[in-house]
Amino acid sequence: METVLELNAVVKRFGDNEVLRGVSLSLHRHEVVCLIGASGSGKSTLLRCANLLETVDEGSISLFGQSLLSPHIDPDLVRRHIGMVFQSFNLFPHLSVLENILIGPLHALKRDGDEVREEALALLERIGLRDRADDFPDRLSGGQQQRVAIVRALAMRPSLLLLDEVTSALDPTLVGEVLDLLRDLARSGTTMLIATHEMNFARDVAHQVAYLDHGVLVEQGTPEQIFVSPRHEATRTFLDRVR
Amino acid sequence: MRNLRIALAGLVGVSTIGVATLSSGLAANASSYSLATCKTTIAAQEYAKGKLTVATDNPVYTPWFVNNKPTNGKGYESALVYAIAKTLGVSTSNVNWVTEPFDSSYTPGTKKFDFDINEISYTAARAMVVTFSNSYYDVQQSIVALKTNRIVKHHTRADLKTYQYGDQIGTTGLSFINSFIKPTKAARVYSTLDQAVAQLQNGRIDALVIDTPTGQYMASAQITDKNKKLIATQVGQFPSVGEHYGLLFQKNSPLAGCVNVALAALKTDGTLTKLQNKWLNIYTSVPVIKP
Amino acid sequence: MSLEQEADALQTPPRLFLPRRRQLLIGRRGLVASTLSTLLVLGGLVAVFYLAPGGASVRFFFFNPHHMWHSFIGDPRQGLSSVGRGLIVNIWIFLVCEVLVLFFGLIIAWTRMSQSPVLLPFRILSTTYTDVFRGIPILLVFFLVGDGLPALQLGFLSNQSPAVYGCMSLTITYSAYVAEVYRAGINSVPHGQTLAARSLGLTHYATMRRVILPQAVRTVIPPLLNDFISLQKDTALLSIFGAIEAVRAAGIYASTEFNFSGYVVAALLFLILTIPMTRYTDHLIARDRSLRLAAA
Repeated sequence: METVLELNAVVKRFGDNEVLRGVSLSLHRHEVVCLIGASGSGKSTLLRCANLLETVDEGSISLFGQSLLSPHIDPDLVRRHIGMVFQSFNLFPHLSVLENILIGPLHALKRDGDEVREEALALLERIGLRDRADDFPDRLSGGQQQRVAIVRALAMRPSLLLLDEVTSALDPTLVGEVLDLLRDLARSGTTMLIATHEMNFARDVAHQVAYLDHGVLVEQGTPEQIFVSPRHEATRTFLDRVR
Repeated sequence: MRNLRIALAGLVGVSTIGVATLSSGLAANASSYSLATCKTTIAAQEYAKGKLTVATDNPVYTPWFVNNKPTNGKGYESALVYAIAKTLGVSTSNVNWVTEPFDSSYTPGTKKFDFDINEISYTAARAMVVTFSNSYYDVQQSIVALKTNRIVKHHTRADLKTYQYGDQIGTTGLSFINSFIKPTKAARVYSTLDQAVAQLQNGRIDALVIDTPTGQYMASAQITDKNKKLIATQVGQFPSVGEHYGLLFQKNSPLAGCVNVALAALKTDGTLTKLQNKWLNIYTSVPVIKP
Repeated sequence: MSLEQEADALQTPPRLFLPRRRQLLIGRRGLVASTLSTLLVLGGLVAVFYLAPGGASVRFFFFNPHHMWHSFIGDPRQGLSSVGRGLIVNIWIFLVCEVLVLFFGLIIAWTRMSQSPVLLPFRILSTTYTDVFRGIPILLVFFLVGDGLPALQLGFLSNQSPAVYGCMSLTITYSAYVAEVYRAGINSVPHGQTLAARSLGLTHYATMRRVILPQAVRTVIPPLLNDFISLQKDTALLSIFGAIEAVRAAGIYASTEFNFSGYVVAALLFLILTIPMTRYTDHLIARDRSLRLAAA
């Protein structure tokens, strides 16, 4: 399988605080990788480094074999291939649902308006929010907002999606609808790197699960390996705590 | 200079009326008081008992005062105040000077001085809210400009309308510009005379209109370039329109009567003329131009 | 107290009424109370105005209808400028400056918040600029511009009308204020918005233009209007350069007629201009507040 994203011995520091301590990880086409680990273990930072929202101190990151840390790389072009969804949605409150989805294709990709509109409406149809296209985000429930945020990322036709604890800010009753959408995406072959606290979801959907502890990628494997017979004591302790 | 709108009733032949006002006014007031009575009553009428409190602005200008020091008895207005004091039996040491900006000299409320001497023009409108003494100086307006300005050579009635004038707020010069010259460009109005002079110096205005003695002093001593070279000239003075300066009193101040008596006495014995010759004469021989 | 007594006491319903005195302020009686207190306060002020020892003289010197009207219309034959006509100068200076200030303020704020290394000198410059011109009394800026520029003898720059120098001084000072208002507005947009926009591949410029500025505008409008209200009043400083605007016209009237009613006229005219703006600003602030409360 083709390697989409590859991190090699990535180190990230904030001042004296080493948040990522030589993390290596690769993501192949159509693959779903779930990152698990306690809050503050470096999951979010890892995702942000992957699309250059954070600079990297050591190591290398490559997308389709091209090093992203080369000075000749245009970060804006990189980000157009990598979709990102945030814990707190970060929809643009001054734009309607439809405009939120259109802004990337129109103003980053400079695509044709009518065509993009058709696609955006089709995406909204797919998540059952077509009739809310002209509403502003604050009229939507948290679950609906997060699904719009996912669709906003998808509208860029990214090569991969980064999802940063996308259900953590949601009311428990609304978590399901978001996870269902992600399952749906996984089934249709979307390449995703998902930071999550939802262990059952990770077990269902992930091809690979990686456990991150204080900036160290302790162990990586299939869901069975990680959840049923973890090799490391730290992984076992963590899983016992969250179950 | 601190003057105002000239009493505008009919501009023809006003010069003669002006002179008439001066003499007849003095005569009328003098009849009700005598110098001897005044010397005994003055103490009770003073703002600060036993002191004659006289107000003027700060800074003050030559030839009305010298070296910005009202107390030195030099300059026409300073010398006049001491002459009035002497006539009324007030000793020199009992004349007390206080600072009063022109703008606050006419504010309502009790004035903190016996009278203000600050080249303030008598007008009927002003006389409704303050009391003026009779004239202590009959004044004419003149034009001051830089020597290089076109106005020096070209000042026919039509030419005069084309210049950019500027003046201090509240001055007769300003009223004169608006009511006699009627320029096509609105005159600029500054808060202080210094500002107007500064604008003249750097060529922002073509000319300012000011009483003849002050204007002559500006041209002959005050306005210089950075090498201390005199750069201004008095283009000429306008015919009298009957304007005169008076001392400004609290409305209906009882002291005004006695001061008028003193002024009359100073006029009769020739002191007034003598002081004018001494302090103002060199500044008043200026050609007359017709607006 | 025995346990029984305590139980009894608990069965007596607790007192829940307001004290009788405060009951007078409820409902229609409250309206009566507020009317009464308004009348009392206003009446008191009017009484002070009429009964003060100097009341009559203040009414004559400041609120004289004849002088108010006369100063409003002016009289060119007597060299009296019209306060009303003067106000037109204030208004158009204000309008011109408003546009200039909005523009330059944005440029300064943008420069100050830029990240490009090439712009570093401009970043330092704009930071210094806002520090300096927010700290200098505006009167001094007027003197520096109005007397300094002509003295430089820079041809075109040194040969402008008082209105132009006035506009320059106001624009210089208020651009510094408004730049800070913009900056505060931009900073008030949550960082997540920038992250979301950049993660869509929008450039720094597109992020600003499409995402940050449109949101910043909403928070920025009330403080911006506040600055405009004081800008409107500060147009009176134009008189320093000899321009005859409303306040200077009133000053000319006062020094000519020895009556201050022209100042009151000027004050009233300024109020007519600024009150709609202050009311509108308050309305926007209240609306923004209720929107945020509804969202929370």
